[in-house]
Amino acid sequence: MQRKLVITLLGTGLLLAALPVFAHHAFSQEFDINKPLQLKGTLTKWEMINPHSWFHIDVTGPDGKVTEWMIEGGSPNTLIRLGVTKYTVKVGTELTIDAYQAKEGTNKAVGRNFTLPDGSRLFLALSGAVPGGAPDSPQK
Amino acid sequence: MNQRLLMSLGLALLLTCPLAAGQHVLKAGKDAVSIAKTSDKPYVVPKTPDGQPDLQGYWTNNTYTPLERPANVTKEFYTPEEALAAAKKSAEREASQIDSTPGTVNDVHYDFTQFGLDKSQTVLNSNLRTSMITDPPDGKIPPVTDEGKKRAAAKAAQRPPQSATYDMVQNIVIGSRCIYQGAGPPMLPPGYNPGYQIIQGENYVMILIEAGHETRIIPLDGRPHPPKTVREWLGDSRGHWEGNTLVVETTNFNDRVNFRGASENLKVIERFTRTADDTIRYQFTIDDPSTWEKTWSAELPFTKMDGPIFEHACHEGNYGIANTLAGVRAQEKRAAEAAAKKGAQ
Repeated sequence: MQRKLVITLLGTGLLLAALPVFAHHAFSQEFDINKPLQLKGTLTKWEMINPHSWFHIDVTGPDGKVTEWMIEGGSPNTLIRLGVTKYTVKVGTELTIDAYQAKEGTNKAVGRNFTLPDGSRLFLALSGAVPGGAPDSPQK
Repeated sequence: MNQRLLMSLGLALLLTCPLAAGQHVLKAGKDAVSIAKTSDKPYVVPKTPDGQPDLQGYWTNNTYTPLERPANVTKEFYTPEEALAAAKKSAEREASQIDSTPGTVNDVHYDFTQFGLDKSQTVLNSNLRTSMITDPPDGKIPPVTDEGKKRAAAKAAQRPPQSATYDMVQNIVIGSRCIYQGAGPPMLPPGYNPGYQIIQGENYVMILIEAGHETRIIPLDGRPHPPKTVREWLGDSRGHWEGNTLVVETTNFNDRVNFRGASENLKVIERFTRTADDTIRYQFTIDDPSTWEKTWSAELPFTKMDGPIFEHACHEGNYGIANTLAGVRAQEKRAAEAAAKKGAQ
C-alpha cells in the first residue's frame, strides 16, 4: 500500500528565511553590506543555472535611461521540481528587488527579496506550482 | 490510522508554523513502521530485466534526523510525539540560522525559502531514530585516535589565514569552487538539493547525486580496486549483491575529502536494501583505524521523489568566484588609491 500523503499547506504566518547548513559561499564577500538598494525593473532574462540563478532586469531611471542589472538568486532545482519554469516567471515580469550591490562595483547584486507588483513575494506566490510541471508549461 | 500516518500528519501540521511553502510531501520511514508494530506483509522486491533487485528511480535522503544523537537523548528511538517535538526543534533551528535584519551579514543573501531550499519544501522523510548512527549504541562518532588528532592539527596549520580566504582562487574552499560538495560516500543529506537517481545495468549501478552533480559508477563484476596510487574525490567503489541487498565497498579516497576528519585510508561499506516501493534502507559503516578508535555505522531511509533532476552544473553558473575575486581586487585598488592620496598630501 502506498502511504504517500500529500498535503497542501497555505503559508499564512510570518515568513522566515531558512539557511541550510551548507551555503555555497560567503555572500558577504561577494556583495557589499554597506550598499543596500532597491531596484524596480522588468525581467529580461532568467538564467536558471547552478549553483545560483541570475535574474537580468532593466531598470529605468528618473531620467528615462535604462540600466541593466544582474541579480543573484538561489539554486533553481527545487523550484523546477515544484513546477516553476521560465513559463511561470516570464520575461517582462515587473519585479521589485531588495538587494545588496557587488563589491566589485558594477551593476550586479544579490536579491534579498523578489516582490511582484501586487506585493506578493516571487515563487512563494506561485501557489499553482505543482510537482511535474506548471499548468501553462508546454510540456504538460 | 497507523502511527506512520499520524506522524506524517503531525509533521505536516508543525511545519506550517515556521516554514512556508505551497506544497509538501511528508512521509515516515520504514523504522516508523517497525516501531509502530504494524503487520505489513513481507515486501517482495521488484527485479530488473537482468533479475537483480530493482533500486532504480529518483530518491531523496532529506531529513531532520541528525547524524549523531543529541546530547540530552539516551534512547535509540523516539515515540511519535517525541519525534514531532524533535523535528519541530530542528525546523526552528533551521529557520533561526539566518538573521534577516537589514544591514547584518546574514542578510546579504537570497532567501532560501523563496527558492524552496529549506528542507520542508522537498519530500521529507523522517523516522523515529534519534540519530542516524546505530553503532556505537550511544549514537555518537567514536573517539578520534592520537594520529587523527595530529593530522587534523597539521591540516588546520596549513589553512590560509582568514584574511586571505578570498584573496586568490586557490584559497577559496573546494565546495565554493564546485570541485567537491560532500557527495560522499557515505551519502548524507546535503543542505539542499538532496536528490539521487539510481540506474542499473547488468554489471554496473550508477548513482547520480544532485548536489554538485556527481556520478558514482559502481562495477559489479568483482574487479579489484585500482592501485593505491589512484586517488579519487568520491573514492573507488565496487559492488556486489548479498540477497536483496547491494553492498558497495569504497576505498582510494584522495587526501582532501577528509570525511569528518578521515584519512585517505578510509573504507566505506554501504548497504542498499529496497524495503518498500517508496523506500530504500541505506546503511553504511565507516572504517578508518588511523582516525577513529573503532568502526561506526549509521542508517537512514531514502524515499521516492519525483524526477527528473535538473542538472546541478555548478561550474556553469559559478559567477560568484569571479565576482568575489573582483571585489577583493576593487577593495585593494581603493585602498592603494587612498594611500597614494594620503602620501601626496
